[in-house]
Amino acid sequence: MKMEHRTSYAVDAARKRLDQIGAVILVGSGKGGVGKSMISSAIALTLSSQGRRTGLLDIDLHGASIPEYLDLKPPLRSGENGLEPKRLGKLRVMSIAFFAGDNPVPVRGVEKEDLIAHLMALTNWGELDYLIVDLPPGMGDELLSAFSLFAHKCRLLLVTTPSKYSFNVVSLMCKLAARERVPLAGVVLNMSYMLIGRRRTYPLGRVDRSLLEKAIGARLVTEVPLEPRINQRRFQEVLKGNSELTKAIRDLTKTLLKA
Amino acid sequence: MHELTIAQNVIDSVLSEVEKNGATKVLVIEISIGELMQFDKDAFVYSLSILLNGPVLGSAKLEVKIENAVFVCRKCSRSWGMDETRKQLRQVENGLLIKEPDGMEVPLHFLPQLYSTFVHCPDCGSSDILLKDSESVRIAKLIVE
Repeated sequence: MKMEHRTSYAVDAARKRLDQIGAVILVGSGKGGVGKSMISSAIALTLSSQGRRTGLLDIDLHGASIPEYLDLKPPLRSGENGLEPKRLGKLRVMSIAFFAGDNPVPVRGVEKEDLIAHLMALTNWGELDYLIVDLPPGMGDELLSAFSLFAHKCRLLLVTTPSKYSFNVVSLMCKLAARERVPLAGVVLNMSYMLIGRRRTYPLGRVDRSLLEKAIGARLVTEVPLEPRINQRRFQEVLKGNSELTKAIRDLTKTLLKA
Repeated sequence: MHELTIAQNVIDSVLSEVEKNGATKVLVIEISIGELMQFDKDAFVYSLSILLNGPVLGSAKLEVKIENAVFVCRKCSRSWGMDETRKQLRQVENGLLIKEPDGMEVPLHFLPQLYSTFVHCPDCGSSDILLKDSESVRIAKLIVE
């Protein structure tokens, strides 16, 4: 029997890494600028701070921002079992930006699928309870590759803002997930409100829960406030304490753990 | 070090194909490696040969080929090879070199798919380039019985 299909070893190797991972949560939206990377980083940091072995994989190939959020920089180090993910406390983080630095990543089509499989395969994640995957905007190669690679182990957490233009795109992603049989973990309404003193204001408009759920086709799990301090301080410091943002992320994490 | 890890992954992948196809013995394994990875072929072949043992793999004939890197610019149609590319790779910032136990490697050694990040057309400077043939390690042919 002869097989000549130029198989990459990477998908098999990536699945072997996955065998050591309990559950994968894909964080996506379809729409850009809704705060996927902030939500991914916040969930990962919170799970890790609660003692759960957690990894964070950034597959936003063209606009990786996880390293910026977490203030992590190249270079990477290679060891006996592959490339060592960057560590932030006990959280393990891998991003394409650790390879590309400040250079653009103009990768086309199927190469993206290969790139994601290799990134997953090369990283020495070790045993993890949770792997959080930060998806890029859009519904192309990266998303389909993630659905395929993490199938049977993943749930998709959708992120939207109060904008009706965002709802429309997020609903498309919701439909695609249903077609690909990827279970949903619900939808997060990010930038939902802002706390001024003790009063909630709604700078992007107040959203009716049932209208949102109907428009998107998914259950609203948490409302996350707009937190301007994110631009002024280190993200992990903003998450400490008992701020509105911290409470919202803790609620979200609790919901994810229950499911 | 990376060569050893990849060798183990390739053998795992071969064994998975063997299992999927209900075979009992591997006769031929042909592996192609993209030149861009600047792989240590001898170290890779040595690592593979250690792993090729036992009733399933022990008598497999192994062939490892390095595929020449040929780039084509989509903008001006210029094509070029590894010699001109090496010059560009020498300019990869020190901060991006990956630390291995026995030295430093450029990121493309691990992720050759990122070639358009580090390689550009020597004439027009465009990053809209194409690498012909394989950029990474692939099982090109597998014969089992």
